[in-house]
Amino acid sequence: MSRSAPGWLADFQARFGNMLRTPLDRASGTLTAATAAYDPQLCAEALDRPLSCAAERLAVYNRQYWFRLFSVLHAGFPLTARLMGYWELNAVAANYLLAHPPGGWDIEQIADGFRPFFQGALDESAPDWRLALLESVRIDAAYREVFRAECLPPFRPLASDAADLLSGQLVPLPALRIVEEHRALLALRTALLADPSIATAELPPLLVRPQAWAIVRRESGTVRIPIEAREAELLTLLGRHSVGDALGRLESSCTAEERADLPDQVRAWLARSIELGFWCSLRRDG
Amino acid sequence: MAFSPEQAECLRRARGLAPDALGLGLRVPHYEYVLEHAPQVDYFEVISENFFGPAPTPRARLERVRARYPVVLHGVGLNLLGHAPLDNRYLDALARLADAVDAPFVSDHLCWTGAHGVSHHDLLPTPYVPELVELAAERAHEVQRRLGRPFAIENLSSYVEFRASTLSEWEFYAAVVRESGCWSLFDINNVYVSSQNHGFDADVYLAAIDYSRVLEVHLAGHTREQDGTLVDTHDHPVANSVWALYARAWRMGGPFPTMLEWDARIPPLPEVLAELEKAREARQ
Repeated sequence: MSRSAPGWLADFQARFGNMLRTPLDRASGTLTAATAAYDPQLCAEALDRPLSCAAERLAVYNRQYWFRLFSVLHAGFPLTARLMGYWELNAVAANYLLAHPPGGWDIEQIADGFRPFFQGALDESAPDWRLALLESVRIDAAYREVFRAECLPPFRPLASDAADLLSGQLVPLPALRIVEEHRALLALRTALLADPSIATAELPPLLVRPQAWAIVRRESGTVRIPIEAREAELLTLLGRHSVGDALGRLESSCTAEERADLPDQVRAWLARSIELGFWCSLRRDG
Repeated sequence: MAFSPEQAECLRRARGLAPDALGLGLRVPHYEYVLEHAPQVDYFEVISENFFGPAPTPRARLERVRARYPVVLHGVGLNLLGHAPLDNRYLDALARLADAVDAPFVSDHLCWTGAHGVSHHDLLPTPYVPELVELAAERAHEVQRRLGRPFAIENLSSYVEFRASTLSEWEFYAAVVRESGCWSLFDINNVYVSSQNHGFDADVYLAAIDYSRVLEVHLAGHTREQDGTLVDTHDHPVANSVWALYARAWRMGGPFPTMLEWDARIPPLPEVLAELEKAREARQ
């Protein structure tokens, strides 16, 4: 491909791109195009029509740009969007997209950095509400990451692996995430996905005790599996340390009373995690 | 029109679809129904970029559909008229996908989709000038060469025109198709939308098309905004005026494979199939 685009095209597309990314105005209570902020040169380049001026024609593209990207974030973070409300989420999303405009052909990628941005953008004046939204965005992100994760077969240990088990490190399946909820947010998320007509959701009450879950993708779809708190801790430690080291760390974090049953429980949890296909390999390089 | 041996081979492969085939844009809400009920559809068209990403589930579903139906690829991110050169990584991914599904043809739009490192994820217009005919034609030719299979260029729906244009939209589009040696994906809803937005006669557009190069016709619904602007939303049934335009195109240049796109507020598949069936009536 030898031909280069004419220089004026780059300038034209820079002006048009700036117009597309002009933030929508929220002052009226609905999202409207701020046409007065458009580059006058671009408006002069476009033709007026009897029913709408050039800026109003350009505004169609401006609105489409924002609503398309908002809809990707709404789809990627459905629980957070319904708890927070689309209007409030869009305000955070607009700031995020201004700071991180889409750069690749995969539109889904725009959501990749949303969770850390969202965490930094939350109002700290209402701690309970903030904690609930932080948990919500973690859960949404976990489901999203599991859906997009590489597909690898689960690790099925052989007898010959036994000698290396304590010194080796179990590598978590890419399509596995461990999350904890203090309110019944996973069930709420499932209910919301089943009924897209629900635009807003009430925050569920606090659970008597937090519940941990493994979210894992199967051939038949993504499932959530309830796990005990210490089991979740073990799975998380196993993903970061050698098996022997993880077991030591778990033991040291337990109470004396818990330690009595720990060996039997650890064996059962380890066996279950392998049976459920939570690992993809045993790393032996230390 | 006489085709080169290379062009004739492209056409033969693309015409692996029946010349009057009826196809459907396959979207996520319909996968389950399609795999369970295997409805009578001649082929499916999928959005190429939806299968480039890392998620394995979409690809696995596509393979199951492909086992039963021909699948053609329709892109929205080639950026044929971007100021930057075409993205080689994108082209490699597209070629791999086209090979994997043995697509009868691949298509994308005569537009730009991103610039200066930002992807706008929209199909954006430029001024219609001869300089850009040459640029788009050369790039489209290269895309077809790299894919090794027919590449069809789709006409755009647009909401704005530019003073700098020296060609009409149909002159621009027809020239790019002709000079590229590629093919035409002719979207009749887009013609109608643009004709209403810019005040030209849609039949003049129809008359400018070389139907011997049309691999596929697209149909879709649109929405009228408060100020009268038509927007190509793909969220309604095909408008009666678009069916009428389709009937006239069929008389002028049919048969051609015809595909219905429904991308938002998507109804159950039987309803979409019923809409597609209206194409048979329009051809009478």
